[in-house]
Amino acid sequence: MGRFVRNGFLIALAILWLVPTYLLIVNAMTPHEKYTGSPRWIPNGFGFFDNLARAWDSAELGLGLYNSLLYATLSAGIAVFAAALASFAVVIMPTRRRGLWFWLIYTGTLLPLQIFLAPLFKAYVNVNLYDTQLGMVLIYAALCVPFAFFVVRNYLTTVPSEVTEAAQLDGAGWGRLFWQIHLPLVKSSLQAAFVFQFTWVWSDLLFGITLSTSPNIRPVMAALAELNSGYSSLGPPIVLSAALFVSLPTVVLFLTFQRFFASSLKPVG
Amino acid sequence: MTEPAGQTAVRPRAPEPERKAPRARNRGSNVRYDGFAARAGSAVHLLPAVLLVGVLLLVPFGYTVYQSLTDYDGLSTAQFVGLDNYVALFGEERFHRSLLNTVIWMVGTLLLPVLLGLMIAVLTNASGWATWVRYAFVLPYAISGTATAVIWGFMLRSDGAINQVLGAFGLDELQREWLLSWPMNTIVMILANTWQAVGIAVILFLVGLQTVPRETVEAGMLDGASGFRLFRSIVFPQLRPVTVVVVGISIANSLRVFDVIWLLTNGGPGWVSETLAVTMYRMTFVLSEYGHGSAVAVVLAVIVVSVSWVYLRQQMPKRG
Repeated sequence: MGRFVRNGFLIALAILWLVPTYLLIVNAMTPHEKYTGSPRWIPNGFGFFDNLARAWDSAELGLGLYNSLLYATLSAGIAVFAAALASFAVVIMPTRRRGLWFWLIYTGTLLPLQIFLAPLFKAYVNVNLYDTQLGMVLIYAALCVPFAFFVVRNYLTTVPSEVTEAAQLDGAGWGRLFWQIHLPLVKSSLQAAFVFQFTWVWSDLLFGITLSTSPNIRPVMAALAELNSGYSSLGPPIVLSAALFVSLPTVVLFLTFQRFFASSLKPVG
Repeated sequence: MTEPAGQTAVRPRAPEPERKAPRARNRGSNVRYDGFAARAGSAVHLLPAVLLVGVLLLVPFGYTVYQSLTDYDGLSTAQFVGLDNYVALFGEERFHRSLLNTVIWMVGTLLLPVLLGLMIAVLTNASGWATWVRYAFVLPYAISGTATAVIWGFMLRSDGAINQVLGAFGLDELQREWLLSWPMNTIVMILANTWQAVGIAVILFLVGLQTVPRETVEAGMLDGASGFRLFRSIVFPQLRPVTVVVVGISIANSLRVFDVIWLLTNGGPGWVSETLAVTMYRMTFVLSEYGHGSAVAVVLAVIVVSVSWVYLRQQMPKRG
């Protein structure tokens, strides 16, 4: 009986959760000329690619996709590597004032993003980083470091100290310890941090609209926001087709790593 | 080597080099060299992260704090005005509303994703079909705030899906201009955000549930615990570390929400649904009131940091 109620509740909740996604798909498929002004619940022809083509032309979606791919890959990669190095220094090496370094790096996730915006904007304009790809990669990498550091550091603390001591007795230096012992041991947390941060950069709008403006620099979410502001003139199917398409990369990434996600944040057994 | 738990473990070791130093000069210099090498090694490892965070986040942070004490329109030279910006802000009704909305967002985003996330994780932790149902909740997490806003705009507009469904069921009197009146617009935006954000809580709780040792659960069952009791007294205490992380993430995220509000209501109508994150953006980049905008950002930072600090101090085990 209890199980019956539980399962019923779970299924009802799941259906509720699926409705927005279902509507997104159905209406993004609806050919825009057939859209009558009210949401469709039943598929009505297949106009997805035509809708997307219009969105593509209207907001130069292709450039945005390319930029976001570039920013997300590079920034998440740089950040995870920097975070791994710093975690190793704070957890494994006999670094002085570990607490200070931990908080110095970690503070970045506590502070709201808005507090960095105005000076960054001014500084970027002054040093010609405003509206450049390098500028975007740098700021996204910096923003990704604190959380990646948090994940990797937590994972690294679960590596037994005997591992380090045994390797040191065998004459391993810090470089060998880092590259050959600890980095492989925490590989799954590095992957998890990368996937998380890739998703974050891909999804960001705030820095995209603040630090870039031209279509060949701005990330894809800025392009989607521009499409959304033309919602009524373009029509829902076109905007929704773009929203669906730009969501696919992170959804695919997520599904790919779904299985390993469950184990990645778990301490080594 | 991990950090020693008690000071007794490290105290006798620390003075060792000094005591031995006079015995052999070579040895003394070796110790110094090791110390220097180790420190240089630490510095090299710390450098990239500290440089990125320091230059691109902490310096701007300091500058925003300074700028909040000045009157600056983005063009002329900044005038130091002390706390004038803060005094002006706290006298504005618009700022009070923004502050209130921020608190509503914080409470809403703390309760809903955390409670729902825990519930969904527990319900879908079983094997079989439940693992598939999990996808319904987890997948929206991979969707951006911007796309979430587009999707929910489609649901919430006057001619959107929600009013359409209500009309179809004859519930016309329940139809609303969901996004056009406060506090309804703030509430529905929190729900839209929950739809997207609950996934991460589900994932983290599931990870936590899998670390609960099977033997512990079996022992509890042998002792006659089952159902909710088993969960509350055996499983939930083991989830504590994960709960700390989930709540911490939710606090930080709730105060950062920008894209959902910016796209769904633009902080409006007027400014009624602005949170501090949106108010800061509009004051700085739309109105060019850099001083005021910075003051808003500082207030937001004070809230975030003090809430997180109180929370983490209470929850974190005492450890570097």
